[in-house]
Amino acid sequence: MRRRHGGLMAAGLTAVSLAAVLASIGVGSESISFAAAWRDWCAGRPLADAPELAILLQHRLPRTLAALFAGGGLALAGCVFQALLRNPLATPYTLGVASAGAFGAYTATVVMRSAGLALALWGFSAVQVFAFVFALLDVSLIYLMAVRRHHVSSSVLLLAGITLGMLSNAGMMLVRFLSEPGMLAMMERWLMGGVDVIGYEPVVRLAAGVLPCSAVLLLQAAKFDQLGFGAEVAQGRGVNVRRLQTTTFLLGSFLTAVIVSEVGPIGFVGLIVPHAVRSLTGSRHRLLLPLSFVAGGAFLCLCDIFARIMLPGETPIGIITAFIGGPFFLYLLLRRRFGDWET
Amino acid sequence: MGRRLESQSVSFAYVPESPVLADADVGVNGGEVMGVIGPNGSGKSTLLRVLCGFLRPARGDVLLDGQPLCAISNRERARILAFLPQTVTPAFALTAFEVVLLGRYPRLGPLGAASARDREVALRCMRETGTDGLRHRDFGTLSGGERQRVLLASILAQEPDLLLLDEPTAALDINHQAGIFALLRGLARNGYGVAVVTHDLNVAGQFCDRLVLMSARARIVAQGTPRQVLTRDLLTEAYESPIVVTEHPITGTPLVWPEPASAGGARP
Repeated sequence: MRRRHGGLMAAGLTAVSLAAVLASIGVGSESISFAAAWRDWCAGRPLADAPELAILLQHRLPRTLAALFAGGGLALAGCVFQALLRNPLATPYTLGVASAGAFGAYTATVVMRSAGLALALWGFSAVQVFAFVFALLDVSLIYLMAVRRHHVSSSVLLLAGITLGMLSNAGMMLVRFLSEPGMLAMMERWLMGGVDVIGYEPVVRLAAGVLPCSAVLLLQAAKFDQLGFGAEVAQGRGVNVRRLQTTTFLLGSFLTAVIVSEVGPIGFVGLIVPHAVRSLTGSRHRLLLPLSFVAGGAFLCLCDIFARIMLPGETPIGIITAFIGGPFFLYLLLRRRFGDWET
Repeated sequence: MGRRLESQSVSFAYVPESPVLADADVGVNGGEVMGVIGPNGSGKSTLLRVLCGFLRPARGDVLLDGQPLCAISNRERARILAFLPQTVTPAFALTAFEVVLLGRYPRLGPLGAASARDREVALRCMRETGTDGLRHRDFGTLSGGERQRVLLASILAQEPDLLLLDEPTAALDINHQAGIFALLRGLARNGYGVAVVTHDLNVAGQFCDRLVLMSARARIVAQGTPRQVLTRDLLTEAYESPIVVTEHPITGTPLVWPEPASAGGARP
């Protein structure tokens, strides 16, 4: 029924998403005129003499791009994890990537402070490096535990992931307990996430991590449809199940780790966006995966607009995704259009 | 067609101390329905998975038309032999037609886009299994019998020559059971080779050309026509429990019943 309008839905969703991205470039604490910025651009004025163009190019655009890549990557990762684990509740963080990343970030804050260091590695801050390394450690450990001869055990992935996530949380609490009160606020703020990047370095790092992983995951779309019937059916249809599971788990986790270490563990995007898109387009991954990426990016851009204008100063974006995403998810649930899962 | 899939003295064990298959020689040919029967835990499903190439035998070979099966790519194999496991529960809601269309996977191009021809084949397979009337229905809302037929259509959509089915009628009533088996018979008449694991010896006796009887001791007790295999002695040996065999009043095929305990059967 509704699935037959897949193409139409795709076009509509893409148009709405594009509008959200444009709005995200246009809206902010400073109201700027595109026309003025365009004149400055055409006149080739240096940014120092063209404040509107400077805001646009150095703040709004990188920020919007960061939200687009982070949101898109998280939604895509959530969608493939739901397919991989055959579980509608799976998110990019189900396997503990975010908790491990947060534990890493907290550890970095404390270690750097007590050692009096301000370590930076090729432009990465210590928090980023630690968050990323801890997240990858979590991923490798889980993978080693779950890998079998012919497949990867979904239940071991899930249980090991949740356990390592809890261990990371305990580690985080220990670090908080040991640290000075002044540092707690800093750590707390990191947990709430933010795409308030300045300049293009963070955007390039995000793009370098998110885009290649996403491209490979998108190419697996037809295989996820097969995996929906269980590993044996997929295997019978000629899918190399273990390779698909390994690719999905490692790339999905890697791109999540890149995003978390760059913008913090922003929640909800990876859970609700795939479900919302699924309720519009059906469960065929060829449509679902790319549209989840587009819608996820747009959703985070939209949330970032609220983050900029809702309260004076910046509201942490993780709060907004939850406040918008939570009720919307409940609405889907009540409409019985909880994605399309057999329940 | 005329395919032949066979195992040559295949041995397999999940744990080394307890072999599930030992020197098993079985084969299925195009044009026949081969039933695999035996008590629980006798390795019927394992045998099927070895024949599919999902499980690698510890010793021996699985040959497809004389070629080692493991030398064929997954995709190529899926175009020749199709497998249907015992329980299939899709994680996502799909219409019956979408389920069948997903069977086209091994025949699709690298991007996985279904063409008009793929849709045509899917619809034809639904017609062959009498499910074309269900094509717009949500798969999750179908009855057990309808589901099995749709799943059968979905593996037919792979356009294979050989079908390997693990208890396709496990949860079906007697009428639907016979329906599925009649369908398999019809497919075999059209050249398909069918290997089917089943617990229903009476249905197996009526619809299979050949039976393979397995026992819990990693052994193939007997192979042959239903009349040769479904005998009191062989079944009693395989099931380690006294079995009575009579005749179907109409077809004359063997009918099998457990002997009542009160009749003096020596239960192990």
